[in-house]
Amino acid sequence: MIKTAFKSVLAHKVRLVLTAVAIILGVSLVTGTFIFTDTITKQFDTLLDEIYSGTDVSVRAETGDFSAGTEPFPANVLADVEQVDGVAVADGGVASLTAQVLDRDGMPIGGQGPPTLGFSWGETPSLNPMKIKDDQGRAPEGPGEVVLDANTVSSAGFAVGDTVTIVGFEGPDEFELVGVASFGDQDSLLGATIVLFELEEAMRVFGFDDELAGISVQAEPGVDSEQLAMDIAAVLPTGVEAVTGETEQNEQAADINEGLGFLSIGLLAFAGVSIFVGAFIIQNTFRIIIAQRTRELALLRAIGATGRQVRWMVLVEAFFVGLFGSIVGIVVGFAMALGIRGLMNLVGLGIPSGSLVLLPRTVIVGMAVGLILTMASALLPARKASKIPPVAALREDAARTPRRSLHTRALAGSAVLGLGVVFLFLGLFTGIGRAIVLVGLGAAVSFIGVSVLAPLAAKPLANIIGWPLPRLFGVAGQLARENTKRKPRRTASTASALMVGVALVAFFTVFASSTKASVSETVFELFPADLALSSTIQSDPELLSPMSPSLVEELKTYDELSVVSGMQFGRILIDGDTHLLDAFDPETIGQVFFLDPNDDALSLVAEVNSMIVATSFLESQGWVIGDTITIEYLTTGEVATVIVGSFESDDFSNMYVSTETYIENFRYQGDGFIFANAADGVTVDEAQSAIAPTIDRYGNVKAQSKSEIVTDAEMQIDQALALFTGLLFFAVIIAVLGITNTLTLSVYERTREIGLLRAVGMVRRQVRRMIRWEAVIVATFGAILGVLIGIILGWSVVRALADEGFGAFAIPYGQVLLALVLAAVAGVLAAIWPARKASRMNVLDAIRTE
Amino acid sequence: MTTTELTRTAARVENGIKSYGEGDASVHALNGVTVSFVQGEFTAIMGPSGSGKSTLLHCIAGLDTLSEGKAYIGDVDLASLSDRDLTILRRERVGFIFQAFNLIPTLDARENILLPLTIAGKDADTDWYNQIIETVGLADRLTHLPAELSGGQQQRVAAARALVSRPEIVFADEPSGNLDSKSSAELLGFMRRAVKEFGQTIVMVTHDPGTAAYADRIVFLTDGKIVDEMSDPTADSVFDRLKSLGG
Repeated sequence: MIKTAFKSVLAHKVRLVLTAVAIILGVSLVTGTFIFTDTITKQFDTLLDEIYSGTDVSVRAETGDFSAGTEPFPANVLADVEQVDGVAVADGGVASLTAQVLDRDGMPIGGQGPPTLGFSWGETPSLNPMKIKDDQGRAPEGPGEVVLDANTVSSAGFAVGDTVTIVGFEGPDEFELVGVASFGDQDSLLGATIVLFELEEAMRVFGFDDELAGISVQAEPGVDSEQLAMDIAAVLPTGVEAVTGETEQNEQAADINEGLGFLSIGLLAFAGVSIFVGAFIIQNTFRIIIAQRTRELALLRAIGATGRQVRWMVLVEAFFVGLFGSIVGIVVGFAMALGIRGLMNLVGLGIPSGSLVLLPRTVIVGMAVGLILTMASALLPARKASKIPPVAALREDAARTPRRSLHTRALAGSAVLGLGVVFLFLGLFTGIGRAIVLVGLGAAVSFIGVSVLAPLAAKPLANIIGWPLPRLFGVAGQLARENTKRKPRRTASTASALMVGVALVAFFTVFASSTKASVSETVFELFPADLALSSTIQSDPELLSPMSPSLVEELKTYDELSVVSGMQFGRILIDGDTHLLDAFDPETIGQVFFLDPNDDALSLVAEVNSMIVATSFLESQGWVIGDTITIEYLTTGEVATVIVGSFESDDFSNMYVSTETYIENFRYQGDGFIFANAADGVTVDEAQSAIAPTIDRYGNVKAQSKSEIVTDAEMQIDQALALFTGLLFFAVIIAVLGITNTLTLSVYERTREIGLLRAVGMVRRQVRRMIRWEAVIVATFGAILGVLIGIILGWSVVRALADEGFGAFAIPYGQVLLALVLAAVAGVLAAIWPARKASRMNVLDAIRTE
Repeated sequence: MTTTELTRTAARVENGIKSYGEGDASVHALNGVTVSFVQGEFTAIMGPSGSGKSTLLHCIAGLDTLSEGKAYIGDVDLASLSDRDLTILRRERVGFIFQAFNLIPTLDARENILLPLTIAGKDADTDWYNQIIETVGLADRLTHLPAELSGGQQQRVAAARALVSRPEIVFADEPSGNLDSKSSAELLGFMRRAVKEFGQTIVMVTHDPGTAAYADRIVFLTDGKIVDEMSDPTADSVFDRLKSLGG
């Protein structure tokens, strides 16, 4: 039996390849994702090894749940640490994520891509992962001197001795480039821009006030790092801790892995979509193959094979196809990993190149996915094959197994669809369990439900879609339409695969356009200000990066601006939970920012250590106005804070304090937002041009009008949409190949019919046209179902998020129409091969009776 | 051959050889056949299995090509035509009735009958169409799909289709091979009437003497060669001749 199955696979190579393509693409997406993330993980591991190679103990501020990276601690700690027994060398350093190097044209280097990392130059070579490249200058030794990494120097076209503008805590400043540094042997640290100053100078540029960000300690030979860490901890003040280099390295590795984990889950979700689509294709292919081999299988039954054996034969055949597809898929996974890297770089994520990593886990998962996908998809067709009666070998009509009635199908399909919708709603509206999992499951089950129901819609829809064809293309058009109607199940399951891909594309498109509409609504509602200034750097995923404090002062000197109001952001703990806290100037905020405060909340909050809270948040926390709650700050610890008022708008933040309160409790590093209004008689454009010199000088700041903010946001949404669509593209390719596959098999099945048409005078072009339009109808059918589902799905998700600032639901009609047209074009492409095959068919072979 | 004879010849083959395979292994399905089919005549080609009768029919009809020799429909040398021209010649000047699978399952009887015309993008001659429908006796079945027709009805639809474009010649390959005797008689009677009443030229391949008896002339083929001919046959005379050939 195994031999028979194996021979059957080899005997139909085209069929094998077409079926395998679906498997190959699915498997390669999975393995590509693994290879991609494993490669990055390895690169980071190597990097961390290098950074921590000489560090035995690391001293740092305890950030705990505030974990917004490094926080400063008093510089005098260093002297205490140096006194501890067993310490060979201790190097204090400062670091910054907000320094910005400007290129020769005054534009920020790095942009949205890899970050800019600022460090002080470590005096001890064994504790300093950076070194000056041979004959490329020297280390920074004093004020006005800077060293940059080799990659930045060469890509920006700098040379030792050049003057470089760097925007720091005190605003833009000019420095002399005194040296070029490499990271170990590497010219680039994963594409990041690295800025190095002498320690004192670094403190000034990064805004450290006799403080350090960390101390790296090298132990004397023979001293245990664990023990040394404990000894050092003993001399440290509260809020500062000592950990071994190994611990810190592991922490960093864990952070990186967590970030990569999200990326990997996201990518695997898209791979899952492709596999789901592939399952439709594979199942359909096996179903058709079995229908075509009815006589052969019946013959096997007639000469004594049991139904069970026939079933196994089909499954073994699926196994071989799956095995072939998985192996090729793993190989293609390498190309896919490069492709994913390219795609990530395209949307500005700045992923470095490096040799790819293939772990045994990748191979195992890839093989498992391919084999399980194929065999599970073949289960139903195999069952059907086992039910072919032996007499079918002799009589054609005996092979027709009774079809489930349309009634049963409608009931079954509706039940499955209903179940899917229930999952969707549970996920979207109730918040039971993990919403995203429920939504994903609901979508998948709904897709299956729709695909069960789809054959019911196949005939009428094919009639409508194909309506113009007989008029346009005569009998070829008519036959194309009739052909899609004759096997509604086949048409529907072929179209279902495309439906899934198109539905998700449509969903993301609808979601994106709704988001855009909501963003624009929110921005215009929330910001009465004419201009909003923010940093171009994103050093913290949740908080806006502070702009140099000098900027706000400089802006206040412009007569073209009437109001300049800064907003600051920070993390706090309330009852152990981390929250974000925003701060503003109560006197001016009303003119630039919409809060809809109740009573005189804005004037009351001017009192130090008082705050105002969004009414919805107030209720959810069970607070009332007048309560005193305890806020824990990183710098000042627990502070009793009075709730003095509330506001209605919950679009931005839940809690606000005054800037005065902020400065008292946080290390003030600058404003995250600066709002400004144009003075009377000055247009927004004029004001914008007036302050342009200052903005340009800082380089890392953007001053945007409301419509520019909206455009900016829209651009980011479009980028995300492009990324998702790009990833869904594979699912669509699989679906289109599915159409090719089904048509090729159908053409083979209709050999006699096509032969007859050719005999009675159909020219090749007409045959091709017939097949082509059949594909177009199937593709359009799938696309229409997909677009409908996508829009409905988009609508429900937008409705579910209505509480989170989603006011608008918008259907991008142009894009939806484009999707339908593209689907039709995909149909044309899918038909190329089968149409060619059909038109090349030997007329005589086709009509020969035996 | 005179000019008058040429115009009266609907199709002919000169020294037709059809071989499969190469060199020593080659098999001659047709081994030097020369035969003409006169306009308005009903000719049957008979012969035992493997005699090459179907191959001959395919080669004259432009469905297959001769290895050597020439085949003509009217004055047109089939070998000189491209696939496209050959296809158009088939649809305009030739009609076909096969043993089975004559109809497109998705088209109803009327659409199947008109198929050669619709493919060519031409309108039917209504009078002629009505005349065929009436003769073939299917007026009440025209909106039925092939699956809803009996075997005999299906073959009569096929015959009507073969005639609808007024072809110069109709080729039939065992047209009644799958039919019971009553349906068979109806179909052959219809073909006979087409020859008598409309002057249609028909060439039919069969191995059944009873079927062949409907023809005006019979050509006997054995081992790829024409071995005998007879005119105005009856079932008995055909049977006797076959016996003498086989013996």
